[in-house]
Amino acid sequence: MAQFHFSDEILMAFADGELDEQMAGRVEQAMANDPAIARRIAEFLRSRRLIRSAYARSTASDVPPALRAAVQAQIDRLEAQAGPQAPSGDPISRSASPAGRWRPALALAAGIGALALATGGYLAGRQGLGTPSADPIAYLAAPEVSRALGSNLSGQEQDLPFGRIRVISTYRMADGSLCREFKLETSAGASNAVACRGRDWKTTFALASADASGSYVPSDGADLVDSYLQKGGAGQPLLDAAEVQALREPPRLR
Amino acid sequence: MPAAIGQELVGLLPRLRRFALVLCRSPSLADDLVQSACERALAGADSWTPGTRLDAWVFRILRNQWIDHLRRSRTEGMSEDITERPDIVGDAGEGPILSKLLLAEVQQFIDTMPAEQREVLLLVCVEDLAYREAAEVLGVPIGTVMSRLARARKRLAEMTAAA
Repeated sequence: MAQFHFSDEILMAFADGELDEQMAGRVEQAMANDPAIARRIAEFLRSRRLIRSAYARSTASDVPPALRAAVQAQIDRLEAQAGPQAPSGDPISRSASPAGRWRPALALAAGIGALALATGGYLAGRQGLGTPSADPIAYLAAPEVSRALGSNLSGQEQDLPFGRIRVISTYRMADGSLCREFKLETSAGASNAVACRGRDWKTTFALASADASGSYVPSDGADLVDSYLQKGGAGQPLLDAAEVQALREPPRLR
Repeated sequence: MPAAIGQELVGLLPRLRRFALVLCRSPSLADDLVQSACERALAGADSWTPGTRLDAWVFRILRNQWIDHLRRSRTEGMSEDITERPDIVGDAGEGPILSKLLLAEVQQFIDTMPAEQREVLLLVCVEDLAYREAAEVLGVPIGTVMSRLARARKRLAEMTAAA
C-alpha cells in the first residue's frame, strides 16, 4: 500500500474536523496502521482542549458595565434615529429567541433541505385546485385540514384520509386575526405550518420537510415558525377557555 | 437594520472583549477597541450578509480597527504590562482533568506567542470558527491559517508534554 506522508496541517485539520470525507478516510486508515500518526492527532486534540480551557468562558463574560452601557447607548441612538417604524422588535415576543436569529436560522433550514414558503400567490393559486398531489404543501389546502383547524383544540391529533394533523397552538395576531400553528404529516412528508382564519382557514406560512418519514423535524424549523409568529405580533398562546371561545367566533369576512 | 443586530451585538460583547484582549493585551485599550468596533458594525449593519456568521463579521471589523490603530500610533509595544492582567486565566469546567497549574502554564505560554499565532488560536480553538472563517477574519489565505495554527499548537503540545 502506498505510504502517505501526512503533514501537521493535515493531521490537525483531521482533529478539527476540517477534512473532506475522502482525505479523512485516508487519515483514518493511516491512523489505524500507525500509532505514531494516532499520537500526533491526539496531540492536536489535546492542544485544542488546553487552549479552550485556558480561555475559560468565565473570563470572557467579564464585560465592564461602562463598556456595555456605551454600546447599548449607541444602539439606542440608532434605534431612535430609525424612528417609530421599528420593524420586528415587537416587545410581546412569545419566545426567548432573539429576533436576530431569524436570518441565520433561515439559512440553516435551507441547508438541511427544508423548504420555507411565506405563502401568498403560491398557495393561494393552489387552493382552488382541490386535487392534492404528492406534494405535502398541497394538502395544506385540503378541506379536511380546514375543518380540523376550525374545531380541534391545541394538542389534539386527528387522522385524515391522507395523513395526520396535530394542532399545536392558537394565537391572536397583532391585527386581530386568529392563527393556528399545526403540523401535518403525510406520506409525502411533514410540514409545520401556520394558518389564519378569514372566510376560511388559509395557510400563511409553511415549512415542509423533505423527509418522507415525517419523524424528523429539525429544531430550526420550530425557530422559523416562532419567528414568523413573532413578526406577526402573536402574543401568548390562547389556552383552554380562551381558545374555545376564539374558535367559536364567527369568521371574519374581509 | 442596525436595531436587528443590536441585541446580538450586546450578546457578543464578552467574546469581542476577549478577542480584543488577545490582540492588544490591555484592558482599557480593549474596551475602546470593542466600543469603536461596535460603532462601526452598527453603522455598517447593511453590509453584513444575513445567513453568515455575525460574530466572524464583527471580529473582522474589530481586528481591522486594531490594525488601523497600530498604523496610526506606530506602537507595536503595549501600554500596560501583561502581568497586570489577571483577568484572562481561568478554568473551563473541564477542571477535573486539567489542573489549574497546567492551565496557567498554557496561558503564560500563549502570552509569549507572536500576535499572529495568538489570534488564530483564539478564533479557531476557542471561538470555533472554521479555518475558512478565520481566514476571512484575518484576511489571509486558509493555508496561512493552517500553518500558523499547526505551528502554535505543536509548540504548545511540546511545552506541556511533561505535564
